[in-house]
Amino acid sequence: MTALSWLVLAAIVAWAIALVQWSRRRARRARRDDARRFFRHPSAAAGLALLAVLVTVALCAPLVAPYRPSQQLDIIALQSRPPDWLHPLGTDLYSRDVWSRLVYGARVSLGVGTLGMLVAVTLGGMVGAAAGYFRGWVDGVLMRLVDVGLSVPRIFLVLGAIAVWERLRIASLIVLLGLTGWFATARIVRAEVLTLRERPFTDAARSLGAGSWRIIARHIIPNAAAPLIVSAALGIGNMMLLEAGLSFLGVGIQPPEPSWGNMIADGRDLLTSAPWISLFPGLAIALSVMALHAVADALRDALDPRTTRLS
Amino acid sequence: MITLPRVPRCIAVAVLIACTTSACSRAGGCRDEYCGTLVFAGVGEVTALLPPVSDASVDRDVYDQIFLRLADLTPDGGTIGDSGFVPQLAQRWEWTDPLTLVFHLDPRARWQDGPPVTAEDVAFTFAAYTDTAVNSADRGTLLAHIASVTAQDSLTALFHFRDRYPEMFYDAVFHMRILPAHLLRNVPLATWRTAEFGRAPVGAGPYRFVRWTPGQSLELAADSGFYLGRPHLRRLIWRFASDLNVAITQVVAGEADAIEVLLSPTNIERARNSGHLTLYSYPGPTYTFLRFNLRADGDSLRPHPIFADRDVRRALVLATDRARMCQSVFSGNAKVPPGPIPQSWSWLWVPQLTVPSYDSAQAARLLAARGWRDSDGDGVRDRGGRKLSFHLSVPSTSPPRVQYAQLLQEALKAVGVEVVIDQMEPATLQERLRAGGFDAALETWFADPSPASAAPGIWGSHGPSNFGHYASPAFDRQVAAAASATTPDAARTSWIAAFGTLDQDAPGIMLFSVDNIAAVDSRVTDVQIRPDSWWALVRTWRIPPDKLNERDRVGG
Amino acid sequence: MTAWLLRRLAAGIAIIFAVVTLTFVAVHLAPGDPFLPADGRPMDPAAVARLRTAYGLDRTLLEQYGRYLVALGRGELGQSFSRRRPVAAAIGSALPNTVLLAGAALLIDFACGIAIGVFQAARVRRRSDVALTNLTLFFYSLPTFWLGMVLLLLFSQWLHWLPVGGAIDPVLHDALPLGGRLLDRLRHLVLPALTLGLVGAGGTARFQRAALLEALGQDYVRTARAKGLAERTVLVRHALRDALLPVISLLGLALPFLLTGAVLVETVFAWPGLGKLAADAILARDYPLVLGTVLVASLAVVVGSLVADLLTVAADPRIRLSG
Repeated sequence: MTALSWLVLAAIVAWAIALVQWSRRRARRARRDDARRFFRHPSAAAGLALLAVLVTVALCAPLVAPYRPSQQLDIIALQSRPPDWLHPLGTDLYSRDVWSRLVYGARVSLGVGTLGMLVAVTLGGMVGAAAGYFRGWVDGVLMRLVDVGLSVPRIFLVLGAIAVWERLRIASLIVLLGLTGWFATARIVRAEVLTLRERPFTDAARSLGAGSWRIIARHIIPNAAAPLIVSAALGIGNMMLLEAGLSFLGVGIQPPEPSWGNMIADGRDLLTSAPWISLFPGLAIALSVMALHAVADALRDALDPRTTRLS
Repeated sequence: MITLPRVPRCIAVAVLIACTTSACSRAGGCRDEYCGTLVFAGVGEVTALLPPVSDASVDRDVYDQIFLRLADLTPDGGTIGDSGFVPQLAQRWEWTDPLTLVFHLDPRARWQDGPPVTAEDVAFTFAAYTDTAVNSADRGTLLAHIASVTAQDSLTALFHFRDRYPEMFYDAVFHMRILPAHLLRNVPLATWRTAEFGRAPVGAGPYRFVRWTPGQSLELAADSGFYLGRPHLRRLIWRFASDLNVAITQVVAGEADAIEVLLSPTNIERARNSGHLTLYSYPGPTYTFLRFNLRADGDSLRPHPIFADRDVRRALVLATDRARMCQSVFSGNAKVPPGPIPQSWSWLWVPQLTVPSYDSAQAARLLAARGWRDSDGDGVRDRGGRKLSFHLSVPSTSPPRVQYAQLLQEALKAVGVEVVIDQMEPATLQERLRAGGFDAALETWFADPSPASAAPGIWGSHGPSNFGHYASPAFDRQVAAAASATTPDAARTSWIAAFGTLDQDAPGIMLFSVDNIAAVDSRVTDVQIRPDSWWALVRTWRIPPDKLNERDRVGG
Repeated sequence: MTAWLLRRLAAGIAIIFAVVTLTFVAVHLAPGDPFLPADGRPMDPAAVARLRTAYGLDRTLLEQYGRYLVALGRGELGQSFSRRRPVAAAIGSALPNTVLLAGAALLIDFACGIAIGVFQAARVRRRSDVALTNLTLFFYSLPTFWLGMVLLLLFSQWLHWLPVGGAIDPVLHDALPLGGRLLDRLRHLVLPALTLGLVGAGGTARFQRAALLEALGQDYVRTARAKGLAERTVLVRHALRDALLPVISLLGLALPFLLTGAVLVETVFAWPGLGKLAADAILARDYPLVLGTVLVASLAVVVGSLVADLLTVAADPRIRLSG
């Protein structure tokens, strides 16, 4: 690893910490309650800083990673080398720099997680809102669908779907993860909407002649945002874990594109002789999911005052 | 609720542990020459133990201990004529006329439930193997040349052939394991695939079936009255693991005693470092190659836009540093074959056949000469608006092929060729290959001992497994000459010519043929391994009485 | 109550029916053929065609679906292509192992989870609470198969304390006395159960802590405190009883999680259970076996959530069943 990449990494860490400090200070001065409540959560600042580092590193991958992620440095002399100064996390079976792959893998893993979650939350939000708002048979049909989705262990769903999808590209993987991951969100949103639709502002909008979808879009969804945001933050983590599991089974992200999941799979057979290959991506997944959970918890506290004292 | 006072509970646990440990040492009844228990770490699960309808490779490992052929290949036997064979169920054989082969069965051979093995059984077996209801994979091979099999008397079986050719004897004995007619005659042929017999088989071989716990293990016991000599190992147990890595871990941890292939250098290293395993190297029966589809992906009537051009294929072969890749993946335990040749065909590894050396500059020149240049500066060559980019299909379950795919991808990138890797489940890959829905694929073939039955199917113009639609009249002619050669030398000359043609036409890139390395616990002695089936001689393996461990003695 | 139960049962059956239908369509549309030979073995196309006919795969999808449903109605799950046995038998031999694994994992999950949650709630915002919060979050955030690999490496391959895989020792097991056999099973069970259980316990602990803290804020707890009861009594007698309710409902939700994790964990530990059976079946395009395992898995989930609801009712007389 070159001096430049160390420097850039240090700069990113510094910038992430500064960012969090700055927003915490602003939150303290802010009039809004929720921003202050967010930072009152013990792990919120740390989680946010970690996420900031991860996202920035992913965005600036070419600056932080000394090598191309698929670059094979020397397929005989540099195979599965333990960590040293040049390759801080070692090299893998293909003589690729594990650190560079981890950095670029952040793009894939976080990207797949985030986009998959967006698909899921959008779908889940719409279905939940429609079910909760229209009730009656719409509610019945949609919620039974949700029951079906929740009754099959998720990995069976995804495995089955992947069997149907032939040459699996990242885009289709994202859609798959999204399509099989919206059921719980729909349930949460529906419950929220059921209470919202009896609130005075909904009635007011209706008496002013607003259409159903307009009411849903303008009044219901914004007010149901709190649980939606929390479930989205948790959702990214779950998507990342699922992607890792699929890549581990050999049906996730295709090589040579690095994802943390297929990095673990790459190193699986070498766990006894070259543990660094799969240990670091495993830790990376755990840390990112932890950070996401910490932020989700803090968000819950911030956005939903009823449970504030819980943490 | 029963509550034990604190102290007695500790004692109870201690007693429990004492019971278990003492039981282990107490149960050690067996102490003599015939006590060994061998635990194989098997990959995959047994489907059925009825040879004509079994298809998993672990099935063969197991049923070859239970069923016998009429005669068997010797460790370095050739397939032309009968000189490479030793008697098994047949004591001796002779040709009564050029098209009639007579087998005299060993009168000592008995089915494990008592009755002697008769010529009736042999005729019954041939009828079963060739029946459409049984649907054996060997049906076509057997019917191609053998007209009928009849019983002359109880110990004499007659094979009538349609035509004369060098491997008549091989075809007569190699494909069939003789089955007990008295137990199977009443089982409707159409139900054999799921027959109860396949879950509790009775044969005439050195080992008897004991039990099979699905998903976990399978146990065989030595037949102490086996007519070719009592097997030394008393019990053979297969433990099923879902993948090679888990299986090797079991062997390294001492929870299993043997595994037939270690494959990667890492695994070999692990086995070597374990301290209790002995490694045995033997020529592997497989070869792996990249197959070019000479017809368009998904449309076998149109030529492939890239691979229909012989010079482009040759350029890609030249751009691949196969020796270096082989060294990287196998570090000395595999060789780059000079044709579709597994190591087990050792008589074809001759100096006349050579691997063309790596030459990326020449590859670049060839590609440029065929009009493939990088006109837009994106690092990928193009011609007439089409990029020099193709999809490479790889089964996700094969670590060496997944590894090779990525090495090839980087190597070809250096000469301006883009490779997109499609990892897929093996079932999907098989279907794509057969439908012609691919650009290029990494395939491994398990070759029969005889090239004459293995090569034409994969590379011949009308071969059922010639998925790339390579067609060369010259190659077909040379293969036909080799298959009808009557001496090994003549056969070899024709094969060299045929594989030379293949090398010129480059319908694929031959990547590697592995040296198989088996790991067997060091307490096992007299380990002999036959290249075509490593388990075939297990009955001669032995564990000396002074080396017996707890597993060997228990239950004796 | 009866009406509620009947409605839940009807809904459950409808759900399972829908799951089976979706799986049927998905698995038949998937590329790949169950009767093509393994990679690298020659094939006779006529032989494959005959097998397809013999198993009815040459019929239209609708016809196959109809026949499957009729057979299902008679309680038949069909013949597994790859295992060469009735699907029911294949599942029957795998199911006990999965139940054992899931049961042990559930035990670890809830025993550890509830204990840690209670401990944390009693020391809320102290250093030990924060440390445990991070620790449980860490376990909850781990990919299960990765944790399994690491535990296997540590306890089996480096320390040699525990076996590396399988459910029993295939040679010694039957020769052991009863106690020894139990011990043998236990030794094989520890790592896979721990892998699944620890990840689950992380989630359960977080949930239990939150529920308990919520309960501690309720009026009746304040009343109890005002009466001068010891904090420990308040926590255990009053708050915990209330806070266990949401945790019980979590029990039903833990089942799909356990089954999902089981696919990967059973692969890592060569555990002969339902998850591995299902994964193998998908790989082999063994349609009847895929359908059978999905059926059993969704049945387990439906029953699990029903049982969780019933337990909640039993534990809390304030909840009445309706709707």
